Amino acid sequence: MSQAETKKTTWGPREEHTLINHHLRRLDAPEKVTGRAKYTHDVHLPGMLYGRVLTSPHASAKVTNLDTSAAEAMPGVKAVVKLYSDEKGLKYEGDPVAAVAATSPELADDALRAIKVTYEKLPHVVTPKDALRKDAPEVYKGGGKGNLRQSGSRGDLDEIKGIMAKCDVRVEGEYSTPIMHHVCLETHGVVVDYRGGDTATVWASTQGTHSVPEDAQKALGLKNRNAVTVLVDYMGGGFGSKFGLMLPGEIACKLSLIAKAPIKMMFTRHDEFVAAGNRSGCSVKLKLGANKDGKLVAMQSEVVRLGGLEQGAFAGLPYVYNVENVYSTAAALHTHQDGSVAMRAPGHVQASFVMEAAVDEMAAKLNIDPLEFRKMNLKDTAYHRQLDKGAEVIGWNRRPKKAGETPLVGAFKSCKRGMGCAVGTWGGGGYASCVVDTFIHSDGSIATQVGTQDLGTGTRTYIAAILAEEFGLPMSAVEVRIGSSKYGMSVPSGGSTTTASLAPAVKESTTLAKRLFFEKVAPMLGVKPENLTAKGGKIFVQGQPDKSLTWKQACKVLGRDNIAAQGKWNAELQGDGLHGVHFAEVEVDTETGAVQVIKMVGVQDCGLPLNRTAVESQMNGAMIQAIGYALLETNIPDPVTGNMVNANMDDYKVPQAFEIPEMIPVIDDGDTRNVVIGMAEPAIIPGAGAIANAVFNATGVRIKSLPITPDKILRGLERLKRS
Amino acid sequence: MSKESTRDPAPKRGVSRRQFFKGVGVVGAGTALVPESSEAASGGAAFKPGKHSITLKVNGHAVALEVEPRTSLLYALRDHANPPLTGTKLVCDQGACGACTVHVDGKSAYSCNLLAMDMVGKEITTVEGLAGADGKLHPLQEAFIAKDALMCGFCTPGFLMAISAQLKKNPNATVEELKHACAGNVCRCGTYPHIFEAMVETVKKMKGGA
Ligand code: FES
Ligand code: FES
Repeated sequence: MSQAETKKTTWGPREEHTLINHHLRRLDAPEKVTGRAKYTHDVHLPGMLYGRVLTSPHASAKVTNLDTSAAEAMPGVKAVVKLYSDEKGLKYEGDPVAAVAATSPELADDALRAIKVTYEKLPHVVTPKDALRKDAPEVYKGGGKGNLRQSGSRGDLDEIKGIMAKCDVRVEGEYSTPIMHHVCLETHGVVVDYRGGDTATVWASTQGTHSVPEDAQKALGLKNRNAVTVLVDYMGGGFGSKFGLMLPGEIACKLSLIAKAPIKMMFTRHDEFVAAGNRSGCSVKLKLGANKDGKLVAMQSEVVRLGGLEQGAFAGLPYVYNVENVYSTAAALHTHQDGSVAMRAPGHVQASFVMEAAVDEMAAKLNIDPLEFRKMNLKDTAYHRQLDKGAEVIGWNRRPKKAGETPLVGAFKSCKRGMGCAVGTWGGGGYASCVVDTFIHSDGSIATQVGTQDLGTGTRTYIAAILAEEFGLPMSAVEVRIGSSKYGMSVPSGGSTTTASLAPAVKESTTLAKRLFFEKVAPMLGVKPENLTAKGGKIFVQGQPDKSLTWKQACKVLGRDNIAAQGKWNAELQGDGLHGVHFAEVEVDTETGAVQVIKMVGVQDCGLPLNRTAVESQMNGAMIQAIGYALLETNIPDPVTGNMVNANMDDYKVPQAFEIPEMIPVIDDGDTRNVVIGMAEPAIIPGAGAIANAVFNATGVRIKSLPITPDKILRGLERLKRS
Repeated sequence: MSKESTRDPAPKRGVSRRQFFKGVGVVGAGTALVPESSEAASGGAAFKPGKHSITLKVNGHAVALEVEPRTSLLYALRDHANPPLTGTKLVCDQGACGACTVHVDGKSAYSCNLLAMDMVGKEITTVEGLAGADGKLHPLQEAFIAKDALMCGFCTPGFLMAISAQLKKNPNATVEELKHACAGNVCRCGTYPHIFEAMVETVKKMKGGA
């Protein structure tokens, strides 16, 4: 590869983009609407076996007898593994006990049923209340430390108490958010194709193509990561929960070592609920103090994260708002529940809901418009711009000035309407890792390849857009290859870091490819490479459009040679620091307590949007997940049995067609940073806060614990009536 | 659940659900029962456990299958057909998400809730058969592409089949009707607003084209 002297790569002026920052069609949509798109779950190989896991039905137990002989003896059952050990014990409903691989899914189910297990149930805790009891069994044996593990504090309590006491107005409350589930439509899983020998192929439903090879190589005992090829053509949703080989992958590798045959191991929906991770809940005590003029002055908070066996996540308080005097503590409360994992903006959704509820209450108490009150306490003017924009789009002036004092509407004149808003922030920057290759051949084929993945985020499409725009070609003329660990390194899609890590490397690769290509083509047109331009399917001399070659003609010059250009990360093409606001309008039925979101507006910045359609789709999707979080979704543990009582999609309700309001995603074009930043995570953050605040505006009822279910509304209304 | 065709209608021919389950019993409980073939079974008796050879009509083709009485249509399509038809997705396996929606005699149905052996003699259409034989996409498929009505795409076949069944019934369907048609479907990525736009676009086009 020639290393000609490098001109600084930039995205170029916004007005010159022909594809980037436009509304683009998703490249893989035709595959998806015809059923041709092959997900891991759809992979079929000759001789493939179906894996199933037997999971613990108890939240805390020991296995005193595990007899797999009947399963092993069944014809068609090719491998059985025991996954229990006394050291490990069973610490949550869903903890794997054993697994089987059989020639059909039906047979695999039969084999699971044929395994005889004797459990000795141990005392468990699955609710915060039980976990805090003095005599609670310890989830992690720690010499009587209990289940609440402090993880730090900040500030001087006495000092803050003093300042708080002097504040003109104080609000105080206890807030909570539930454990939520990702409900990826494609469950976690893999197809491991290992038949003995030195190499293996793994299809994985993962957010990180390159996050799997090493895990799989270790699990299979192969030489190094290159011994494993990981393929991720399509994947059916992750939302933060799918990195590395994961539990089903580990188990599939164990089974394939025995069976020496390809194993498909996809979690069942029940497995998915109890053993594939979740979003941690929280319970928070928060006190805010402000002055009459509307300035937040002091904050005191006690955060308890509910991450089951894990630590859980919670962003720092005060969240986004400026409060100078702060005392806060944080702790994790453990229960015998599957550990939390990342889920779309981990820690931020929880913190935003809590903070925004308190801020909103403070505004109401001070009798200041909540939008104005927010601006008074948000330093970053990006929020001011976004709040104004969102207010305009939703029609904030229609908002009832006094909470609850709204006319009754609806068919039965029983509904009240109100509006709320909230803000969120996110980092979203990238890092060095991606290696992107672009190839041009003399037949006119041009392709960019990198081992990234497309979760539905639209990675494939924006890579094509960057490439096609660089060469002035239509997107249909370029090829994008992703989803294989045999392609260049790429980052896992977590923390909205993919775009900022990947797109700069793509841009570097296509820029270099163009430079190398122009060096070859320039002599044919008798000019210097820097005088060439690629546009409209042609290569021509700047200022002399008649001196041109069609793309095909130009490529012919390569002869037997070709262009291969590798690009790596360029920090200057990406940025971080994101802002977003949500506005919600709700209708609350005061008779039934039902809440319907009727309109939702999101305003989100992301630097330079690569594909406006995809950004808007992400914003819609994030707002919809926020509706689920605000109104519907919660893991319900039964304290007595220790089981999750709604571990299926009938009882764990997610938003469907009739929960969807009018939605308006607004890309914040006031953000003129000429860098790319991922935005899929921040787009969810303020939603629940905005909805809860709208419920307050409509009814005067402040709900401090998610989800906002009808019973809470009705109880709140009853309390209001009495007071 | 919004789909009439999944409401377990008492089959006019064939066996009732209750009779059927009598025959399946628990695993290995090889009690009963009479007929060897599904054709014979449509006489009203229960099925014998174990494999049965049946032929289903899927997307206009005869598909020969070996299934057990308990095998759902969804598993038959995805795991027992050769080549497998994996466009139809398995998500909840209990009639709660719509991802497995197919057309049975033109009506939408959750294939996870239907037993393969009950489907003999019926016309099954899956997402692979939604486009014309010439490969021309259904207007709804076109509209899904144009309006970005999909992200990860895992729910997409189910939505397409649910909505297209309603459009078949009523090409002038209102958005409200079409929302009802897919009210049992789940899209976790949250593409609903764009799905609704695609509905509007499709009805417009079908009117224009009709
Ligand atoms: S898989 Fe059939 S409805 Fe969900
Ligand atoms: S597009 Fe991913 S679930 Fe609908």
